[in-house]
Amino acid sequence: MVSSRKKTVKKQVYTGNRRRILFPVAFLLLSFLLMILPLEGFVSSVKTVLSYVFIPQVRLAHGTVKYAEGVHQTVQELLNAHHENRLLKQQIEMEHLLASQAQTVFQENQRLAAALELRPELPWQGVWAKVAYREPSQWNSVIIDKGSADGITERCAVLSLEQGKEGLAGVVVEVTENTAKVLLVRDEDFSAAVMLEKGQEEGLLVGGGAHAVRIKYLPLGAEIAKGDKVFTSATSSIFPAGILVGSVRAVRDDGSFQTAQTVEVDPLIRSAAVKEVFVLFKPEEPAKEATYVETL
Amino acid sequence: MWKLCKLLALFILATVGHWSVATLFSYWGLNVNFMLVFAIAFCTAARLEIGYPMAFVCGLFLDFFGTKLFGNNAFSFTAAACIVYALRERIDFSGFLPQMVTVFMLTCMVGVINSLLLIHFTSSSLWPGTGSLVGGALIGAFLAPIVFAIVHWIWAGLSAEEHL
Repeated sequence: MVSSRKKTVKKQVYTGNRRRILFPVAFLLLSFLLMILPLEGFVSSVKTVLSYVFIPQVRLAHGTVKYAEGVHQTVQELLNAHHENRLLKQQIEMEHLLASQAQTVFQENQRLAAALELRPELPWQGVWAKVAYREPSQWNSVIIDKGSADGITERCAVLSLEQGKEGLAGVVVEVTENTAKVLLVRDEDFSAAVMLEKGQEEGLLVGGGAHAVRIKYLPLGAEIAKGDKVFTSATSSIFPAGILVGSVRAVRDDGSFQTAQTVEVDPLIRSAAVKEVFVLFKPEEPAKEATYVETL
Repeated sequence: MWKLCKLLALFILATVGHWSVATLFSYWGLNVNFMLVFAIAFCTAARLEIGYPMAFVCGLFLDFFGTKLFGNNAFSFTAAACIVYALRERIDFSGFLPQMVTVFMLTCMVGVINSLLLIHFTSSSLWPGTGSLVGGALIGAFLAPIVFAIVHWIWAGLSAEEHL
């Protein structure tokens, strides 16, 4: 009995020792074999097989690391949120104050306009629309996804946003029930009465197509400098006064014997950048059947 | 089968850890071999029938990204596993110091073996630089107690379910 136990223990020790040697030798030999084999052929096949196992893992690992990086940023944002929130609250309070001041000024303006029997300036009303189609050969006109059903009529002024500022984009020239064609400022057929910010001189802005947009008929003595802002004029029959059009790029020197000055203008809204537009309803004909009316 | 899945999950966790640590410390030019730390920790916990294959696969995982030689990491990891199993009979790995010293020494050893194998087989060396290697080994040594604790804790749970 004792000798059989001893034999069993001896056998276990022997097996254990054998394993202790066999395992490392087998794996060292296997890795050695992998090293001496050329990278093409068998090793390449092994790598391909391993790619099925390891690549999802690597993706997971990479995704986790990316997520962890994102978490760090999110935590940072969360930590800043309280501070930002406090600043924004202050800003909102300030905006409320400004709005209240503006309301007072607006009411005063209306009272004065009524006293002087001036036509009161109505607030801008209109509708937002998206550019639905753009003719490849005609970059200076776009078709928007709103039409007469939304209250848009021909000769409505069209505004757009560029760098966070709203500016004149063009004018509606054709209207169907659900679409409208907008002629952009740069088009040769576009024109609008405008004035310069500095001297309040008025002129006629005309599109140039492939050439520069110009303001014609500016008085000769007007002091015009590069960068002067250009706004729509109150004398315009289509556009409400005070819409930013662009800025003066250059003053043309057309030689002597001129009766007026011409300047080149950089429109604020670039034709290629027009994506969303705000179509202003005409003050005389507010859209009664419009599905909804927004104010800018 | 369930235990195998858990083992696989442990390996995946190690690869995620390796990717994260390697990415993080690469900004400072340190070559931290997290897979080796994991393999050493695993070998101190598991029996050699599972420890050697795990060390080999961990090495193979790193070889997978290599372009010059295939199998050098598998070789050096297996050699490291040999040393761990030899030391396990003499050293108690439950203390922080043995864990850290073993990881530090073996990381340096694996770095040297890999470079020698590359020189021998491809006549080119990918020596990471002494500073990078020693710095990485130090970081690995400091990470060792955490990795050892996690691996031992998970492995104890697995062993309780079945004697692997």
